[in-house]
Parts: sequence; C-alpha cells; structure tokens
Amino acid sequence: MTIEMWLTLAKLGLVLIPFALVPVMILLERRGAAFIQDRPGPSRAAIPLPGGLRIRGFGMVHNFTDGVKLFFKESLVPSFAYKPFYILAPAIPVVTAVLTPALIPWFGPITLDGGVRVVGQFLDANSGILALFALSSLSVYGVVLGSWASNSKYSLLGGMRASAMMISYEVSMGLGALGLFLLVGSFSLTAVVEWQAAHAWGILVQPVGFFLFVTSMFAECNRSPFDVAEGESELVAGFHTEYSAIKFALYFMGEYCHIVIASALIATLYLGGYSPFPFDLHAFSIHTETGSYFDWLPKAPYDAAFIARNLGTWIGIFAAGTAILLLGAAAIVGAHKKRYASFKASDQKARAKEYGFFIAVFAIIGLLAIVGAVGAFTQIDPASEATRVDGVVRYPLWVQLATAAIQVGIVLAKTLFFCWVFVWVRWTVPRMRYDQIMALGWKVLLNVALVNLLVTAIVAKLVGVGK
Amino acid sequence: MAKVVPRPELTFWERIYFVEIFKGLATTIGHAARSLLKPETLPTLDYPEVQPDIPRDYRSQHRLMIRPDGESRCVACFMCSTACPARCINIVAEESPDHHIEKRPAKFEIDLLLCVFCGFCVEACPCDAIRMDTKKAVMAGDNRASFVIDKKQMMSWNPKDYPLEDTQSQKAPGGALNAEALAAFKSGDHH
Repeated sequence: MTIEMWLTLAKLGLVLIPFALVPVMILLERRGAAFIQDRPGPSRAAIPLPGGLRIRGFGMVHNFTDGVKLFFKESLVPSFAYKPFYILAPAIPVVTAVLTPALIPWFGPITLDGGVRVVGQFLDANSGILALFALSSLSVYGVVLGSWASNSKYSLLGGMRASAMMISYEVSMGLGALGLFLLVGSFSLTAVVEWQAAHAWGILVQPVGFFLFVTSMFAECNRSPFDVAEGESELVAGFHTEYSAIKFALYFMGEYCHIVIASALIATLYLGGYSPFPFDLHAFSIHTETGSYFDWLPKAPYDAAFIARNLGTWIGIFAAGTAILLLGAAAIVGAHKKRYASFKASDQKARAKEYGFFIAVFAIIGLLAIVGAVGAFTQIDPASEATRVDGVVRYPLWVQLATAAIQVGIVLAKTLFFCWVFVWVRWTVPRMRYDQIMALGWKVLLNVALVNLLVTAIVAKLVGVGK
Repeated sequence: MAKVVPRPELTFWERIYFVEIFKGLATTIGHAARSLLKPETLPTLDYPEVQPDIPRDYRSQHRLMIRPDGESRCVACFMCSTACPARCINIVAEESPDHHIEKRPAKFEIDLLLCVFCGFCVEACPCDAIRMDTKKAVMAGDNRASFVIDKKQMMSWNPKDYPLEDTQSQKAPGGALNAEALAAFKSGDHH
C-alpha cells in the first residue's frame, strides 16, 4: 500500500474521534454538573481487582455499566407506535454524527514525495461548510420522525417544538458564520483554517458572528438553555418519551456526538483550528535605534510549515503540557484522598488504595512526560533534514506526520475546551420559555446576524481583505 | 390587606441578558474550581460510606431503657400506647416478679411502618423507659414483619454508644455507673 492510502485510513480513524469522545463527554457532564453543584459526583460503580483495589476511574466505570444496562434491557416498542419509522428514527442522529466529522480538518496539508497533497480532512469538498451544515441539519429528522412515529402527545409536542426551534436557529447560524466566509473567500474548511493561521482567529475578526454561531449551536444541539424538546416539567421527556433501552441510548449518543462535532466546528471556524496562536505575535516586536525587543516572537502564518520548523519546541510544549496536567491531576487526587481520609468511612482502605494507585500512575507518566519534553527540546531539530523542492522547503515524512499529530492535538484541546463550555453553560443558564426562544431567534439573533453581515461586507470592501 | 411585592426593575444590562450570563458562568466556574481544588470544603457527604452526624435529640428509632439489673424500666402502664396518635405501640402486661414493681411488659412491640416519629410516647412515659435517641434514622428491611421491633431489639443497645452525661443510660449493665447503681438498686432504692 502507498503512504497516501495509509494516510486515508488514518483519517478514517480521525473521523471516529467524536464517537470515541462520547464517554469522555458523558463523564465530563456528570462530573462537571456535580462539581458545579458542590457534589463529589458519580462514585458507585467500580471494577474490583485483587488486593482490595476497586477502580472507579473517576466515574468512568458508570458509563460502561450504563452501556451494558441499555444494551441488555428489553427493547420495547409501544403497540401504538408506527414501527418502521419508530425503529429508524434513533439511527438518524447517530449516522449524521458519524458522517459530519469527515469534513472537519484535523491537521494541515501534508505534501508527499512527488508533490501529492494530502489534506487533513476525509473529504475536502469545495462546498465544505455547506455540506457540513446540510448533514448536521439532518439530525432534526431523527427528532421529528421519532416523535411522530411514537404516536404519543408528549413526544409529538416535544418533537414539534424541537424541530421548529432547530430550523429557526439554522437561519441565524448560517448568517452568523457567513461573515467569516466573506473574509476568507472560500467555503473550504481547510482554507478557513489556513486563513486564520495567516491572519487572526475568527473570534477576533468576527466576535459578533462567534456569539451568534455559538448560540445557534446550543439550539442546534438541543442543549440548555434551548432544551425545550425535553422540558421535563411539561413534556415528560419530549421526543424520546416512548424510547427505552438501546434506542434511547442511540438518541443519547447522537446528542453527545453532536456536541463534540459542534465544538470541533466552533474550534475550526472561530478558534483557529490547528493554528496555535490567535494573531501575529511578531507585531509586538519593538524596534528602536539601540536594538529590537521581542524580535524572537514567531511570525505568522502559523501553519504546518511553522510547526514543522520548530518541531522540537512543539513536541516539547506538548509533553510539558501533558506533564503539568498529569502532575496537577495527581495533586488534585491527593487533595481528594486527604479529604476522604478525614472521614469515618466504611470503605476507608479501598478508597485510599484507589487514590494512591491513580496518584502513582499520574506521577509516573507525568515524570516520563517531563523527560520527554526535555529530550524533545534538546534533541529534535528537523531543519537539518529539510530539502528544497522548487524553492519551497520540504520536510521528510516523519516530520510532517509529527506535525500532523501535534495539529490534531491542538484541535482536540480546543474541541474539549468547548465541550466543557457546553456543559458549563448547561448548568448555569436556566431553560428559556418557548416563546422567549422564538423571540430571541427571530427578533434578535437574525437581525444582529444581518447587521453583522452588512458591516463585515462594507469593512472588508473598504480594507480590501475579502474577495 | 395583601402586601404587593413589586417586580424588581431590570436595568438595561440585565435586560439584554448577555452580561448576566457571563456573571452566572463566573459563579458556576467558581463552584466547580472549589469542588475540584479544595474538596475539603465540599458540604456534600459521600453517603452511605460516610454517615451524617445526627444530633442526639433527633427523633430516631426507639429504645427501651434498662435498669441496673438488666430488666426493662417499663412498668407496662400503657401511657405511651395511649398517647400514640398512630397506635403503633402494642403492649401486653404481666405481673412483675419484683415485689416493688407491680407490672412489667410481657410483650412490647412498635410497628415502625405505622410510627410517625412524633415523640409523644417519650413525653408520656412516667418512668423514662422509652427514648428515641438511637440516631438510627434509616431503617431498611425486605418484609413488613422486620419493621415490627420487639422488646428484645429495643433493649439491645450498648451504653458505650451513649455519652457519659447520659447517667440513665450509664446505669445499665456495661455502663460506667452500673456498679454503684446496681448496689443502690439492690439496697432497695428504686429511683
């Protein structure tokens, strides 16, 4: 097999990232909710190991027990439901959730020997973002079809509300994002990220568009404060009232997958995708007669070539970041261990053992990461292996692959941050009333989006940025 | 005359809702950071591994007080079952072998599923024979019969679980004051 085919297979693996992040997302939701509400969070499910060790994995075991329960529960179909659509509906959100990440660029273009260019997304369609919007909007069919096929009043009301809301917010979502595409001049997501790497992040050039897009994304994902589809107080559970067992789990997974994809999309469009710095840092260097200060600040564009040039530094930064995170986690687990030791608890020894186990694992990996960081800072220097082809610096394949891995790491870090924002907002902002949501969508966001688009167009024309 | 509470007038910044969301986000992230970094300040207990500290005057499951010689203090006067609004106390009296005491309970049962934990039985008792200070607030069982506690169950408490200031409890067998109380009891001083 050629390298190109291997890279395509690897990109197929990247497409499954949102699906793989669903358990992380559920854990983040449970723990985040608990910590925001001053609770310790999930602590019951555990894997017993020999030696009295009970691994609870910070609540991660709960996800597996939930999965086992939902898989083996009786898959009930109400007698009054319209069976074909009732069974089809939960699959739709999951299918769209697996398809959409194919359009998100996870790393910058790689140039192989012979000038073959491999882009960092599975499908670099010219329509790019349009195809993504079209696919992610399909998930509304899952809600509508499921609610209608359930043949129940609560389901239908919830589904109608959800679909009306999702369709309304689609307008301001598209118009809000349009300002950015006006500046970039292309619908290709790789082009959007390359533009941000060369100029500035979308959140800086389009702050209004960013907030419009994020607000609309909350509505698109059926998340609080726009989660009227499952208003427990009035609609039982909304569109999935009649769903149980694995069919409910599919809805649930589809919803969380959608959140991860929305986060990845926001990271790509407005947080610079795989570009590490928000704007040209070199603009801050000061030149005087006696010399220049801060001249070492890196110059834009912060694209793949920039990371490949300073590969040792970037691998070092990533290893150091991992080390700081892990050692911090060890310190936090230590604080929790100390807290638990102060109680008269019945499972004192098992808890102390488990916390000790995690502290040891985190500390060992963290220290190894420190060694790796030092090694990367001092040992890796790709400049010596660079060749010049037609006046363009070309790095060997391993440097390009390492660069791609770092870029995937940058995108993932931004995505996970925005996943946390989704959780954070859910446990902060109370659910809005249905008429308030409609008023906000049509009377406020739509108008703001139009004005934003107009102002962006005029400024872009005057400054001469856009095309 | 009904008191009219006027709706608070929202300022401009509150009405556009935007700034307030960020204030709310700041509050919640503060709580999340506190739970994560300073877990010792968490008010939530890791129940049931960590049990809450129930105050002694909390009305919990009943116990029957014990005389220094190990018998029940109850004289089967039926005051508690008469005072009980839930009628959950079932007493059968019999003659006491002790000639100083007229009666004693042959059977003393409380149906905890009927009990409303009002504490009237404790107040009605003339002999300080029934108390509700066991701190047992959570009762679990898999059949109804297990919730009917009898005399033996109510008398099987340990004086060491009760504070030294609780002299009545310490006079029971195994308590700190049992020896002198038993001597006084033997000499005929029943109070």
